[in-house]
Amino acid sequence: MHHVVVERWSRRSSPLHARDARAKLGALLAFLVAISTTPPQAARAFVAYSALLAVAIVSARLPFQGLLGRAALVLPLSATFAAVTWWSGDPARAIALAVKSFISGLAALLLVATTPLTQLLNALESLGVPRPLILVVQFLYRYLFVISEQAQHMRLAARCRQGLGLDRRSRFYAAAGALGVLFARSWERADGIYRAMLARGFSGRFSPLAPARFGARDFAFLCAAVAASTAIRLAL
Amino acid sequence: MHIPDGFLGPAVWATLDLVSVPAVGLLARKAQRDLEDRKIPLLGVMGAFVFAAQMINFPVGPGTTGHLVGGTLLAVTLGPAAAAVVMTAILAIQAFVFQDGGIVVLGANVFNMAIASVLAGYLPYRLWAGSGWRSAAIFAGGVLSVLTSACLALAQLLISGVPMPRRLMLVSLGLFLVSGLIEGAVTLAAVRAIERLNPVWIRSPKDSGSRVLGAVAIAAVTLVAGGVLIASAAPDGIWSLVGKLGLTAQTAPWLHAPLADYQVNGLESAWLRKATAGLFGLVLVYVACFLTGKFIARQRSI
Repeated sequence: MHHVVVERWSRRSSPLHARDARAKLGALLAFLVAISTTPPQAARAFVAYSALLAVAIVSARLPFQGLLGRAALVLPLSATFAAVTWWSGDPARAIALAVKSFISGLAALLLVATTPLTQLLNALESLGVPRPLILVVQFLYRYLFVISEQAQHMRLAARCRQGLGLDRRSRFYAAAGALGVLFARSWERADGIYRAMLARGFSGRFSPLAPARFGARDFAFLCAAVAASTAIRLAL
Repeated sequence: MHIPDGFLGPAVWATLDLVSVPAVGLLARKAQRDLEDRKIPLLGVMGAFVFAAQMINFPVGPGTTGHLVGGTLLAVTLGPAAAAVVMTAILAIQAFVFQDGGIVVLGANVFNMAIASVLAGYLPYRLWAGSGWRSAAIFAGGVLSVLTSACLALAQLLISGVPMPRRLMLVSLGLFLVSGLIEGAVTLAAVRAIERLNPVWIRSPKDSGSRVLGAVAIAAVTLVAGGVLIASAAPDGIWSLVGKLGLTAQTAPWLHAPLADYQVNGLESAWLRKATAGLFGLVLVYVACFLTGKFIARQRSI
């Protein structure tokens, strides 16, 4: 798992990929707020939201099935809650719960599948999210796969060495030891990263290769998305 | 538990977003002051470590394994403010990249799992680290952090009108308790292993308060977390208790004035009334957490 599939999608090109990340964030928020405030009985509104989302997916030129499958990750949890809600005698609310969480998840997925994470984080920073937090998220994402693979290697090595003879108590302490070693390696890696950054003259800011520009098309896209979401919410 | 979009009522997530945004801003500034610039890569890599640590399975029962959640471990190694920032970053990555948790409810998830949970998990360590109860403090921190976040999430769902039969509630509370105990044991074992490699990595608070103060503070956190849950599940319970004690006549007028029967008057729909009243409770919890944080911050500053 060198890269999540979403990251590969986000590097494609399409009209939706070309929009500024701030415009897409604003559109997503308007859409999610509209869904969240829609009463459970408004079945037609949910159909309209899905149609709107389908248009966006088509214009993003992304694999429909892949997107739906990934968005379905939320379904086990929401289906459980929906089942409980149905069981306590409120089927409309139960369906709305599952539908709302699925559509919302799909919309959020569409944002990250059409926007590289760096652009998204730069957009969040320009919208006022504190820079230390953005930097931490950047570093986290950059080293996520590195450290995860290290953990996988350690797990594999432990399995090879350990055999089947250990009792549960020893296995517990072995796992704690592995966790400690992973912690130590991560800490030392962070020290190395910092020294390498100093050596290369890191100024405390990642500068993007192409500065984001909020153009007329982005503005039009944002207005259209907000207007469509509001219209569905109020009219249906 | 990561709450997805569509589960919480608008009033609930909006308030928690409004609460979490300035809180995270404050914590980020505090973390930066505590740790200097040098540590920014450290926080990011430690976030990646917590992600990766979930791959290390701890055998806990026949056929079941648990893994580290991490809030308390981060708090005792990086300090509570930095730990909250790292947990926020983790939740943001989970919501945006891994579709685990919603976007508009991110504030709620951050409040539950990055702010309240980390502070609750750090509290016992803050108070007992210097005494002979150090190991107990780390264990209790792990238990409290999981219980706090789980109870808050459950309370928010209840306030938002997701129905939860009593029996299911009891089952989920039992599960929370078990996962809390696992987190406590895993955190303690991990802290000991880390300490053996290099004791410098575990921060110890400057000075520790008394055991009594610690016990009172922990009881308070437990009561608040449990209380929010009970209050949002059965608002009538409190009134029946008041009635049973025969206090209704005397206390009802002033108790009723601000939050008449847990429902603020003059609001239109039922869910809005319910949500507003519940939110008041959450704001109280927030104030409690904020004051706890302030208290910790004051104690920590040199």
